[in-house]
Amino acid sequence: MTFHLQIVTPDGGFYDGEAEKLIVRAKGGDVCILPRHAPYVTALGIGEATVVLPGDQRRRAACAGGMLSVTGEDVRLVATTFEWAEDIDKARAQKAEEKARRKIQDARDNVELEMAKAKLYRALTRQKAAQ
Amino acid sequence: MAGASMKDIKLRIKSVQSTMQITKAMELVASSKLRRAKERAESTRPYFATLRQALEDIAQSNTDFSSPFVQPGEVGRACYVVIAGDRGLAGGYNNNLFKAVWEHMDGQDAAQRPCVLPIGKKAVELCQRRGMESLSDAYASVEALSLRDCFSIAKLLCEKFRQGAFDALYVGYTKFVSMLSQQPDVAKVLPIRHERQPSQKAQSLIEYEPGAAAVYNAIVPEYVGGVLWGAVAESLASELGARRTAMDAASKNAGEMIEDLSLKYNRARQGAITQEITEIVAGAEA
Repeated sequence: MTFHLQIVTPDGGFYDGEAEKLIVRAKGGDVCILPRHAPYVTALGIGEATVVLPGDQRRRAACAGGMLSVTGEDVRLVATTFEWAEDIDKARAQKAEEKARRKIQDARDNVELEMAKAKLYRALTRQKAAQ
Repeated sequence: MAGASMKDIKLRIKSVQSTMQITKAMELVASSKLRRAKERAESTRPYFATLRQALEDIAQSNTDFSSPFVQPGEVGRACYVVIAGDRGLAGGYNNNLFKAVWEHMDGQDAAQRPCVLPIGKKAVELCQRRGMESLSDAYASVEALSLRDCFSIAKLLCEKFRQGAFDALYVGYTKFVSMLSQQPDVAKVLPIRHERQPSQKAQSLIEYEPGAAAVYNAIVPEYVGGVLWGAVAESLASELGARRTAMDAASKNAGEMIEDLSLKYNRARQGAITQEITEIVAGAEA
């Protein structure tokens, strides 16, 4: 059994088709959407996403920000950034990680620290998803 | 007399030719950039439409929910995000947009003067000249504006909105209708209207995690960022389209001018030759 999954980002659509299962990191933790899920809306955090396509084909991705909305048979993942694992540039993610770590040490106030922390978290998530 | 005017005409032709070279080059640059900008503008549309749909769904299906982003406030002050170009030479692109925005501002009977957030060098300059209160002058380049910039602008705007600095947010941008036609437009972003339509079929209950208002307030900044990003993409494509059309017209005009001047030049040349022959013949006869 499958449901209709739509993944869109400001850079364009990433996926529009059937899926068996979707796991994403919401603000409060990971959620898994299966077919015939009740209508549901949540804001997304930063984390790994896994999409299981028909035929037990798994695709992993790094996903940050945005929202997930489930209405009837339609599941919409409206993400701020979404990258399939195979598209992630590992070297770039590693560089971003180092840069973020330096920034955390150099942060002068709380705002800078928070921003650097979020950057580090994103970089780590991308590296993890790419593995 | 003939000689001097021949030289003048030649100089004129040369200067028109060099102008034509520039306009041709600009046209080529604009059309190559336009294709990419158009693709970008089109690829942002589904994101934006989906986000908007989801927000409207939430606002509509909830009766007992309040968010600062849906209620019209009582400050009586509007904020405009004005997205114009970085440079001119794009026909009426910048002017048409400003005209639309001013008209919209004048049409509101707001208690206080509106504030602005200009994006693009032309918009920043104009707002400074007009002495408008600007939230930030840091975004002077539309072309270099990244998605992250849009989200930080959105965050700033939402924060100000919640603090009550203004109670309505509009975005003035240029809609990309087609390669040849661009339409300046002022769109309302906040507060998000929600007209309840009683005729609609019963809404299914939606579960929100952690709560409807919390979800809404987390998503609205993203939505505003998405709107800005979409508007910037549309405006950029429009600017390039307008520039291409303007430069195309300029090149055509230059071509016409060169043709006209060449004709005049040849006539002057012929006149000079005729005069010389007449003089020689008159001399030989004497």
